[in-house]
Amino acid sequence: MPQIAIQGVSRVFAGDVRAVWELDLEIPDGSFTTLLGPSGCGKTTTLRMIAGLEMPTAGEIRIGDLIAFSLAKGRSLAPSKRGLGLVFQSYALWPHLTVAQNITFGLEVQRLGKAETTRRLDEVAAALQIDKLLGRYTSELSGGQQQRVAIARVLVMRPSVLLLDEPLSNLDATLRMDMRAELKRLHAETGATVVYVTHDQLEALTMSTHIALMHEGELQQFAPPLDLYARPANRFAAGFLGNPRINLLEGVAHRDHVACGALSVPLDAALAVAAGAPVTVGLRAEELRLAPVDGDDTAPRAARGVVTSVLPTGSDWYYRVHVGDHDLIVRQNELPDLRLGDGVWVEAAPAPLKAFDAAGRSLTGAAGIAPGASA
Amino acid sequence: MRARLQRFRLSVTPQRVMAVLFLFVLGYLVVVPLGVMLQETFIVHPLERFQIPGSMPGDYTTAHWERTFVGPNSYAFFYRPLLNTLTISLGLAFLALLIGGTLAWLVVRTDLPLKGLISNAAIIPYVMPSWTLALAWITLFKNQRIGGTPGIFTALTGIATPDWFAYGLFPITITLALHYFPFGFMLIGGALRNIDAQLEESAELLGAGRATILRRVVVPLVLPAIFSTFLLTFSRGLGTFGTPAFLGGPVREFVLSTSLYANLIGQRPGIGYLAAFVMIALGVLVLYMDHRIIGSRRSFVTISGKGARAGLVRLGRWRWPVTVAVLAFIFGVIAVPIVALAIDTVMLRPGVYAWSNFSLHYWIGEASLRIGLGTGEPGILRNPQLMRALGNTMQLAIVVALICGVLGMLIGYTVVRLRGTWISKLLDQLSFLPYLMPSIALGSIFLAMFAVARGPIPSLYGTFWLLVVACVVNYLPYAVKAGTSAMMQVGPELEEAAIMSGAGWWTRMRRVLFPVQKATYFSGMLLPFISVTRELSLLILLVTPATQLATTITLRYTDRGWYPYTNGMVLLLVIIVIASTVISRRLMKTDLAKGLGG
Repeated sequence: MPQIAIQGVSRVFAGDVRAVWELDLEIPDGSFTTLLGPSGCGKTTTLRMIAGLEMPTAGEIRIGDLIAFSLAKGRSLAPSKRGLGLVFQSYALWPHLTVAQNITFGLEVQRLGKAETTRRLDEVAAALQIDKLLGRYTSELSGGQQQRVAIARVLVMRPSVLLLDEPLSNLDATLRMDMRAELKRLHAETGATVVYVTHDQLEALTMSTHIALMHEGELQQFAPPLDLYARPANRFAAGFLGNPRINLLEGVAHRDHVACGALSVPLDAALAVAAGAPVTVGLRAEELRLAPVDGDDTAPRAARGVVTSVLPTGSDWYYRVHVGDHDLIVRQNELPDLRLGDGVWVEAAPAPLKAFDAAGRSLTGAAGIAPGASA
Repeated sequence: MRARLQRFRLSVTPQRVMAVLFLFVLGYLVVVPLGVMLQETFIVHPLERFQIPGSMPGDYTTAHWERTFVGPNSYAFFYRPLLNTLTISLGLAFLALLIGGTLAWLVVRTDLPLKGLISNAAIIPYVMPSWTLALAWITLFKNQRIGGTPGIFTALTGIATPDWFAYGLFPITITLALHYFPFGFMLIGGALRNIDAQLEESAELLGAGRATILRRVVVPLVLPAIFSTFLLTFSRGLGTFGTPAFLGGPVREFVLSTSLYANLIGQRPGIGYLAAFVMIALGVLVLYMDHRIIGSRRSFVTISGKGARAGLVRLGRWRWPVTVAVLAFIFGVIAVPIVALAIDTVMLRPGVYAWSNFSLHYWIGEASLRIGLGTGEPGILRNPQLMRALGNTMQLAIVVALICGVLGMLIGYTVVRLRGTWISKLLDQLSFLPYLMPSIALGSIFLAMFAVARGPIPSLYGTFWLLVVACVVNYLPYAVKAGTSAMMQVGPELEEAAIMSGAGWWTRMRRVLFPVQKATYFSGMLLPFISVTRELSLLILLVTPATQLATTITLRYTDRGWYPYTNGMVLLLVIIVIASTVISRRLMKTDLAKGLGG
């Protein structure tokens, strides 16, 4: 039984702005599902509709057996009755209350009784290692500590669903790494379904069991992260995931390869398009190889380019190579002897190919559910 | 259809219910009165039927418009007061800008010492009733014109003050400017403080000198604040009543507000209402100019600098002379009037400034027809009439402050939560509307509106509640502004987090939204409290013997020439106002500057 079922949900704002449009999504029980997409794609609106803070203009949302929202049935369950907790991007800690008061606020509102309140407070404070901070005001805490308090405030209510709205965006890089691990641990320990909103693809790739990729209010693809990375449903999905950005090359389909100017990309299986049709090929930085130009030899499938920039990251080197009309990013894990302005051969490494038709849909097979691609 | 109905049912939230409720209430209290007032300018009132031949009370007529704009007496009725009003407003706006701006620059951008003291003291002239200075001016400079005794100045020097100096436009402009310059000080000071030092440092690195930086960078950046100050003080000048009443009355020099009062109280209510209408039109015009000139540029002011503050201008050898001048000025504006008024209340025989004449008769004396002025009135502190008026004032101030605080918070909440919808915009603008209306015009509106019963609403004239309604509407713009900005600062997440915890609307208000912005809400209440305490223009038309206030009753005493009573009452009000400002600043950390400036 799916834990959160979203059916035909839309949210249209005044002036006919479609924040979310006809969204169908089933978030599996116990999963760590990330709503991923650029800003303005509707991911936060979706999260807020699940939470009950935003009212859909159409559709139905079920959480377990509960009908959380249904326009047809004229039903909208109060947020606190949906059995979920929400951690806000800004944490939304109440500055006039201490850490302990922040955490127990909900329990007091629900009139849980003093003994139980104290017991739960101690329990959650210990689990999140904030037991020494309980008497402080939230303005006296560091960003990481505030984050923990915000999570504790939610966990103390024992939700079956945990909603997180870009919770790491206000933390510095090192702290972010720690908190990622911590959130993964919490997910494993509580067994709650987690719905996580972020625009950071690295967060999505490293933490989630499922990614729902959204763009302009519509679901693009719903799949496990690595599948999504390997088999994007469309050009947008290919371009959004992966750092550095995937190289997208316009080319022409042939029987066993795609010709992108001088660069020839081999096909492992025939494409479902006529020969001569325009095709976009997606090549990630690690799927390209460089070779120095020695004398006048020519690699059969390679194209000649010029190195326009060298970017070492410590473990790898990224090269920007100008080929024909394109600037390609190539990742190398050993240092070829190349300098700025050197001529270089670029070739596609053998890998499962990502190719897209003129409308941007995948020709090589999409992972998971891809409503846009099947249309 | 069904889906639409369901959608409507689901969209009924507390903020929407309140929005609709407030729209109705504000519509009735703000929009309808405007219409009623306009209607009054076309109606024959009972007293006017003999002035307009062949008319019956209640008939429609254009006579008021004709008599005001083109009639033989239109110069005396209308054009001269209008000209006077504009002259005073213009002069006062320039002076307030000059004084406030200079002071702000000195405090923010130079190495002037005693800045804390000066900034705190510079607000006090605004907190005092605007006509305190007018009364002090009379006490100091009055001459034989109004009979009785000469002022302190003449008594001490023997020089008789000329009429133009003692009464009329000149002292009105000066005393009002001295009352309103804190506006300029706070607005321009705030703008100067917000300038990012990096902007000036960049100019300096490019080789610009001090004067060039001031002219090309600093002044343009604070230009919106300069315009704001100018228009704000200008519009205040349009509606003020007390000062021109005290200082213009003796030489029969009228401005729009005093002419409105004279006509409305006298035989020509129609013309009075028309004057109110013109004042409102002027108010709208000023706001429109404000919008046109500053509108898009206002955002300059809010750029807050993260960089270090720019280096302060060194005053060098001018440092101490300037300090002395500034202190003398502020001291003069605050202390001299207070002392002058105080001296006047303890001089038994007016105009005789000698120790032998010292007496507390006007404070605690028995009623007597023989002692001093022989008024037959007991001293202020044992005068039941005066003390009852003071009690009414305090009661009114507290009730209005509380209602304004609550309304400001609720309307602010509604406006912010429904942001982006037409209903929020309408509510915001409706609650701003009274700001455009000079307060005496607003008073006349409520007079027209509530003099008779209309539908289920009984006639409120003569009741305490009419005063409450008028004050609440008058200060609503400030209250809503405070409420809105408080709510904006909080952001919706703090409330949403409480929603997620299952807290109901009332719990959210009580335990989250109010406590989080407590200081702002108290500041929002302090302003109406202080303003009501010293309000005269708004209420002068609405009080009746049963609802006399401390301010309005002093006017009666002035009319009889019983200045010691007037001055004593004003002193009491000044003490109350300053004390409540200081106390609430200590206790609640309120900041009056936050509520000002609109």
